[in-house]
Amino acid sequence: MAFEHVNSFLVGDIGNVHTRLVLIDLVEGQYRLIASARAHTTAQPPLGNVSLGLDHAAQNITSLIGRELVSEDSDQLFLTPESGGHGVDMFVATGSAGRPMRVFLVGLTPEVSIISGRRMLAGSYVTVTDVLCPDDLRSEEEQINAILSGEPDMILIVGGTDEGADDILLDLAQKVERALSLIKRGTMPSVLFAGNKALRRQVKELLGEHTSVFVAKNVRPAFGDEQLFPAQIELALVYDDYRSKSPGGFDEIGRYSQVGVVPTTQGYISAVRYLCELPGRGIGPLCIDVGSANSAIVAGVHREPHYLIRTDLGVGHNAVGALQAVTPEKLQRWLPFDAAVDDLWDYMYNKQLRPGTVPGTPEELMVEQALAREIVRLLVAEARPAWNVAVGDELLPEFRPIIAAGAILTEAQHPGISAMLLLDALQPTGQVELRLDPHNLVSALGVVAYLRPIVTVQAFEAGGLVNLGTAFCPLGHIRRGRDAMRVQVRLPDGQVLKRIVRSGDIWVASVLPGVTVDVTVRLARGLTIDGRRRIRRRVVSGAAGLIFDARGRPLIMPRPKERAVRFTEWQMAVMGRERRARLETEAEPLPSMDDLLVEAEPLSDLEQEQETGDAVLS
Amino acid sequence: MPYYPETTVIQGLARVIRERRLPPQSIPRLTPGTLVGSHVEAVGVVLQGDLLRDYRILDVAAAFRLRRSEADQGAELIQVSEGQRVQLGQELARRGRGRRGKVLSSPVEGLVVRIEGSLIFIQVSERALEVLAKMPGEIEVVESHKVKITSNGAVLQCAWGNGRYSYSVFKFVPEDGFVGLSKLDPRISDYRGVVIVSPQPLNKGDLMVAQQQEAAGVVAPSMSSNLREFAMQLTFPVMLTEGFGRRRPSPLIYRLLADNVKRQAAFDAVIPDPWSWDRPEIVIPLPAGGVLPPTPALDRALKVGARVLVTRAPWEGLIGEVVELPESPQVVDSGLRVPSARVRLSNERVGLVPLANLELLG
Repeated sequence: MAFEHVNSFLVGDIGNVHTRLVLIDLVEGQYRLIASARAHTTAQPPLGNVSLGLDHAAQNITSLIGRELVSEDSDQLFLTPESGGHGVDMFVATGSAGRPMRVFLVGLTPEVSIISGRRMLAGSYVTVTDVLCPDDLRSEEEQINAILSGEPDMILIVGGTDEGADDILLDLAQKVERALSLIKRGTMPSVLFAGNKALRRQVKELLGEHTSVFVAKNVRPAFGDEQLFPAQIELALVYDDYRSKSPGGFDEIGRYSQVGVVPTTQGYISAVRYLCELPGRGIGPLCIDVGSANSAIVAGVHREPHYLIRTDLGVGHNAVGALQAVTPEKLQRWLPFDAAVDDLWDYMYNKQLRPGTVPGTPEELMVEQALAREIVRLLVAEARPAWNVAVGDELLPEFRPIIAAGAILTEAQHPGISAMLLLDALQPTGQVELRLDPHNLVSALGVVAYLRPIVTVQAFEAGGLVNLGTAFCPLGHIRRGRDAMRVQVRLPDGQVLKRIVRSGDIWVASVLPGVTVDVTVRLARGLTIDGRRRIRRRVVSGAAGLIFDARGRPLIMPRPKERAVRFTEWQMAVMGRERRARLETEAEPLPSMDDLLVEAEPLSDLEQEQETGDAVLS
Repeated sequence: MPYYPETTVIQGLARVIRERRLPPQSIPRLTPGTLVGSHVEAVGVVLQGDLLRDYRILDVAAAFRLRRSEADQGAELIQVSEGQRVQLGQELARRGRGRRGKVLSSPVEGLVVRIEGSLIFIQVSERALEVLAKMPGEIEVVESHKVKITSNGAVLQCAWGNGRYSYSVFKFVPEDGFVGLSKLDPRISDYRGVVIVSPQPLNKGDLMVAQQQEAAGVVAPSMSSNLREFAMQLTFPVMLTEGFGRRRPSPLIYRLLADNVKRQAAFDAVIPDPWSWDRPEIVIPLPAGGVLPPTPALDRALKVGARVLVTRAPWEGLIGEVVELPESPQVVDSGLRVPSARVRLSNERVGLVPLANLELLG
């Protein structure tokens, strides 16, 4: 289907706590983010209808820009198509709300097809209940009970190359058929077949009399060839089917949406595929989404998306599970105050009871932000082996940009705190570009890419994300308190900000967002950025300014007795309140802002230094 | 822009409509007395059924040691049909007659779900289910897996429960608390078979005293989350009105309980599940006095003048009245800039509270 006539898109993302809407439209020949809004998700009882949350968010957009979006017609949710400056040409929906889909996995070999099946599922909100393969030693009775006792919502069958043997896989499919034939009450699981293509017709005939059978391209068409993307597209359809059968009014939304309800992370994966094609430094983009019930990481490594979703990690619905996974002791490392382990458990249990609430005190906020840091660290640790990029165990490959989504990361008390959360959790090195995606635009554009790729490309170029700024994070360590980074920031009006950043400190150059500046950084011996001790870059300042993180990599956490002071210093620094913090914690007077703002140095001097490579700090 | 907060029902008199359900995978049985318009008691059974779980596969050919060439005959020996209930020891298949005949008996109680050649598939009855009305009232709707019951009374929704249920008289803990209670002789204690309400957070000792006193349940504002496992093992309901840790009691809830003390009430300590409708709640049946009380409204937008419950620090548990809804997000105590409301709290102080931390009182 061609979508050339479609100029405006309304993309709804239904999360467990928030429902977000973004409106993308053609402005002067280019697709741009026009407006976005957010409302509470209304999937849960007593409202139990997600369209109400979408309606509330649409009303918010109307009140912001005056464009009517909600239809008064009972058989459509939004005014379509766009007419007279109101309405929208197309609505599409993504979602992560609700219980993850339970999947029973059937495959030929644990080392090949089962692994591919798991990788394919890793891009969606699923829980694998059990696995069946030919070398399963359980009796047939036990195998059937294994299939049915987990009450799966979907059975995924993978295995066999396209020219390979088919008898064994057919035998497994017959076991599935026998199990399905026994279901007389409750929910009948759908089947997704992504195995040997020669068996498609037989499997569909065999299982189709019991349930809906979805067929996708083989995830392993040849032994050395893994193709997950086509099966993931089909999985999105199964997910939509599952969601439409779930309570909460998803069936209605699925009907209005051009693509049904696509898993939010599928949107991320698709978007990262596109971002990988854009010119840029580093090995590719990195998207992190920490939600209330689920958390996901999608990395573009050498033009290929790698992803991991944990449906048991979140800062709301799954706060208790997240604390179990990361342990309270690791959480305490990020808290500048003494928090008893029991208190942390109490906090998480209460948060799980009311996942939509927000921290009421600064201490509560720090606890949730600490949990978010550790969730991100856990995601990185688990995703890292699949990236297959040789960097140190503790270090992050050079992803550019780093994009964060989820209210805990995007809606901190200050953009600088959002930046610090990412720097603490990811510990990136070198020159790092940080972006926030408060509206889940990345996922939205990923889904729109299925329909009109040009929209995705142009909307990204038009800057729909919040530019947090650039951080310079040297690799290595020197003794705390010694001069680590000598920084010079040349502003467009010729003024230069100069600063020596000491080891263990963070400094934020207060430059207005969107201003292009020339930055020169000279590093002490033992520290490098991109393998060099002197760099010169032209960068655009962001909402958090320009960040110079001289804490070293890997990050060494302060000792417990220093934690309160150091954390307060860092927090104050990233919020641009460094001077007050310093004065509160140290007696040593600092240079005033007037001292920092000096006349411009001739560029030629700097260039000369760069060429000769002299050590400025020794 | 309208904001639709969650609603907590704390009402002195309301029309209460509740659904009671059998699990979808269970087989319902006809329940005598469950008729539209009939009156039910709180502990009356309104739904009965069987919960079926695992499957057993019985091979008739193998059981009678039929030769491979005779395997097809196995199907002819089967004495039961699909959909038939079978009892433990019931004859499933027979070969031959008289004393020399061989019989295959059912090793389980269950339901024959499929017969395929000489194979019999039985889904095993795990247990019989009985669903209680949980509150006295009138049956409005009867379906195979659910009934709807209506009643009148006070309703108090709580934060957490341990999964138990009790219909009992309730009393406040004596002034010297559970320590004082522990000194009473359980055989003659006034608290035996009574739900004990405490306005103080619980500790493990309190729960043990309640157990020793053979109490019918415990209601308190909070307890440490590390007591969850212990509380789940108790046979009586434990209900927390506020949550975990040391939380202050919500005055409205405890005033309502005090006003109705020594009445019988339904204590349904449902374990909260983020994906389900059910919340732990106390229903105190009350006469409506001839006037039909209102059903709690659950989908109202927040407005100035609305009565709200603050759910998070620093004023958690306090009831207040919304006095202003600022148009733009405000910086609140935590430092976050979020949509907020100015709320006049019960202590007359006006505080700025994030909208997300307010629940409407239904």
